[in-house]
Amino acid sequence: MAAVDALEEAVPHPITVDPRPQVTTGPDGLPRVLGIRCRACGEVAAYRWPRCPACRGAVEPAEFGPDGTVWSATVVRIPVSGRTPPYALAYVDLDAGPRVLAHVLPAGGPAPVIGSRVRLAEATPTGDVQVEVVP
Amino acid sequence: MTNAVAVHGVGTSHFGRQPERDLVALAWDAVHEAFTDAGVEEVDAVWVGTVFGPPGVAQRVLRAMGITGIPVITVENACASGTTAFAEAHEAVRTGRYERVLALGIEQMSTAFDGAITPEDTDPEGRTGLALPALYAMAAARYLHLGAATPEQLAAVSVKNHAHALHNPRAQYSGRYTVEEVLASRMIADPLTLLQCCPTSDGAAAAVLGPATGGSREVRVRGLALRSGVPWNHASPHVWGHDIVRDTAADALAAAGLADVADVDVLEVHDAFTIGEIVTTEALGLVKPGDGGAAAARGDTALGGAHPVNPSGGLLSRGHPLGATGLAQIAEITWQLRDEAGARQVEGARLGLVETMGGGVSVLDGNACVVVLLEAP
Ligand SMILES: [Zn+2]
Repeated sequence: MAAVDALEEAVPHPITVDPRPQVTTGPDGLPRVLGIRCRACGEVAAYRWPRCPACRGAVEPAEFGPDGTVWSATVVRIPVSGRTPPYALAYVDLDAGPRVLAHVLPAGGPAPVIGSRVRLAEATPTGDVQVEVVP
Repeated sequence: MTNAVAVHGVGTSHFGRQPERDLVALAWDAVHEAFTDAGVEEVDAVWVGTVFGPPGVAQRVLRAMGITGIPVITVENACASGTTAFAEAHEAVRTGRYERVLALGIEQMSTAFDGAITPEDTDPEGRTGLALPALYAMAAARYLHLGAATPEQLAAVSVKNHAHALHNPRAQYSGRYTVEEVLASRMIADPLTLLQCCPTSDGAAAAVLGPATGGSREVRVRGLALRSGVPWNHASPHVWGHDIVRDTAADALAAAGLADVADVDVLEVHDAFTIGEIVTTEALGLVKPGDGGAAAARGDTALGGAHPVNPSGGLLSRGHPLGATGLAQIAEITWQLRDEAGARQVEGARLGLVETMGGGVSVLDGNACVVVLLEAP
């Protein structure tokens, strides 16, 4: 029995808690990012953390999006474990919300122009936050 | 009662891709040279900076050179791990906790990674596929969008630092490149090309610290500071990593009793990517906001310019074994201030600055930044 336990211990466990922002569907059917807003300083974050990362103040649950503006963007052209380059990534400032890192639709497409308006899409099946440029 | 602290000796291994040598061999090169340089045979404690470990690596390399029984402390602060070890060693001497302390940085990356560092899967942005070059590419793209730099100015940093490294036999790469060649190298993450990214390296670097006694080869630690990042978002008008460098530099200058960073004669700063040096020279206050790229293109930050930055060739050329980098920067400035830097010597350098900024934790404006001000004997 002990030998079996030791064997199981030697097998690496998968990361069971996904660290990425969680995307949900709002009452209007549009995607939202779950997060927090600080009751003391107003800081926002795209994570359900127990305290404000800026001032350690008390926080309340908040939802952000779906619209935002591209702060910057790039196309990753090097091999990254579990991914197929090239792929575009953007830092998106959600309106009245946090800056989130998102993949850009269509997959394999170019980086969006900085300053362009984008909208959250449903997360990918594997859990990446995604945005598409608003025409 | 506190002590004035000096660097009594420094040493480094060769930097480069050297998977055939283990960390025991690399660390020995650095420590043996630093001990010989300092004229010492033993120390009272050791701080070791390393990022990718593995666990126990500090004691493993130190036991091979007979450094056992004394306190050994391992620290990790991303790219600033080596300078964090230096900062802790400095504090231990300053407060009298220990008399003589070794700060050692070690990293073997060629055996751990095929290409770029794998993003950390427990971090939101690592899990999203944000390789480190892409994080810096975001800053570079923003600079280009704002007109705060041009692609040619980004490339000028690479041209400058690779040319500096021609005079540094310990550097991994060197060469006389043109701006066109840098821009034509393979795209890694738009707009950063291969020659704008530091290479994967193995290496070790070390410094022996002790109370300042006024010795003719002692480089005095004039002041230093260490910070970790606060949240970075739309509330800052600056790109990632700017504000932590600015604030840490202000702390360090205050600790050193200096009013103006322009008094510094020579700098080694964190140019893991070309945009990093541009942002850093602006954040330090060495150049005006938005003038970092132009300053590199004009030669202001080249050897022979008003404020030479990265005479060693920087991370772009020397290579970037993460834990070793900070102490290699300390070694370079120590040689510069002792007038021992050979063909890359900054004439008459009296005051030097080292800056290292490490990051990768999402939301934060860097995991840590260390700025050190060193003064000639
Ligand atoms: Zn707050």
